[in-house]
Amino acid sequence: MARITAGIASSHVPLLGVAVDQGKSRDDYFGPIFAGYDWTREWLAASTPDVVLLVYNDHASAFDANIIPTFAIGCGERFRPADEGWGPRPVPEVIGHPDLAWHIAQSLILDDFDMTIINEMDVDHGLTVPLSMMFGQPAAWPVRVIPLAVNVVTYPVPSGNRCWALGEAIARAVASFPDDLNVQVWGTGGMSHQLQGPRAGLLNREWDNRFMDLLIGDSQAARAIPHIEYLRETGSEGIEMVMWLIMRGALGARTRLRHRHYHIPCSNTAIGHLVLEPTE
Amino acid sequence: MTHDIHAYLAEFDDIPGTRVYTAKRARAGYQLNQFCMSLMKAENRERWKAGEDDYLAGWALSDDQKAAVKARDYNRLLDLGGNIYFLAKIFSTDGISFAEAVSTMTDMDFPTYRQMMMNGGRPPQGNRSIKGGW
Ligand SMILES: [Fe+2]
Repeated sequence: MARITAGIASSHVPLLGVAVDQGKSRDDYFGPIFAGYDWTREWLAASTPDVVLLVYNDHASAFDANIIPTFAIGCGERFRPADEGWGPRPVPEVIGHPDLAWHIAQSLILDDFDMTIINEMDVDHGLTVPLSMMFGQPAAWPVRVIPLAVNVVTYPVPSGNRCWALGEAIARAVASFPDDLNVQVWGTGGMSHQLQGPRAGLLNREWDNRFMDLLIGDSQAARAIPHIEYLRETGSEGIEMVMWLIMRGALGARTRLRHRHYHIPCSNTAIGHLVLEPTE
Repeated sequence: MTHDIHAYLAEFDDIPGTRVYTAKRARAGYQLNQFCMSLMKAENRERWKAGEDDYLAGWALSDDQKAAVKARDYNRLLDLGGNIYFLAKIFSTDGISFAEAVSTMTDMDFPTYRQMMMNGGRPPQGNRSIKGGW
């Protein structure tokens, strides 16, 4: 049977991709950010999963203003890195896992989650930057990836509670897949940042760290945080953190912390990173 | 957790210096954001750079929206329904970084904004609520 063995949370700032692609990841500015991922890269090299279900959001790359799926799952064979205006990132194609992806999609729909199914889409920095943070610059990504895109741009975005419940449903779906697969769920985006308006540049170290605390152990408190709290406390783009709750929900009743990292700033954004494992 | 859409939306107006991208804004800005999206294609970027007026003539934007695009007035564009991830296509085409473009929406120049970020960013204290001032 397939099983979820771990969850990873990580920011997905585009500038981190630039740092990797241009070989700057150990300079004075980026060094402290990337050092916080060293533990994870070593751990992943020793225990690479078969599949990563990667929760992220599209930033006006694959989806324009026309069609706005709340939850979309990529069921295709492969996904190309998107051209976000400067040409695609020089990273490998993302290879999907259509058998598991379709199984999850079908299971979720039967479980009352009305998923949008995507066969062809390009994937932007929201998905490729976390892969670069965790795996560096391999010739091919060492895992299959199932993209799960969440609308966190046009309001109302899904509630934290709904995201957590989707994670719980993903766990049930994975557990009913007959093949023996080691699956991780990654939740990306955040942490505090605001990219617009006179309040741009808002960061909130205390709130971000309380949020990370809430994902460790058996607390369910984070599922009740309303949108307005993310907006007030963590900036308009801090709402991306609801995507971490899909990862957390997928890990079951209780988690234990394997690794934690927090750094301010990366461009406009607070960087946060967690590695969690489910416990009985 | 509120389930009253009116109450839900009303709270967004109490956040200082912030335009939450609601359905109302998405509707007002639909053509503007789709225009921005067209700049994802290299051939469109070339046409845009060759003549902004000619390029904009092909889009059903309001005069206000066109003027704000030409002025690169990003706060105004947010008011007129633009979303930052779409507006990013304009400043990317201009060769301006995200952080520099973001700084133009604040009351700081870019070096001052960048230094604020290095110092830990804009603090939440006093920036959470207009009415409450907290
Ligand atoms: Fe993002």
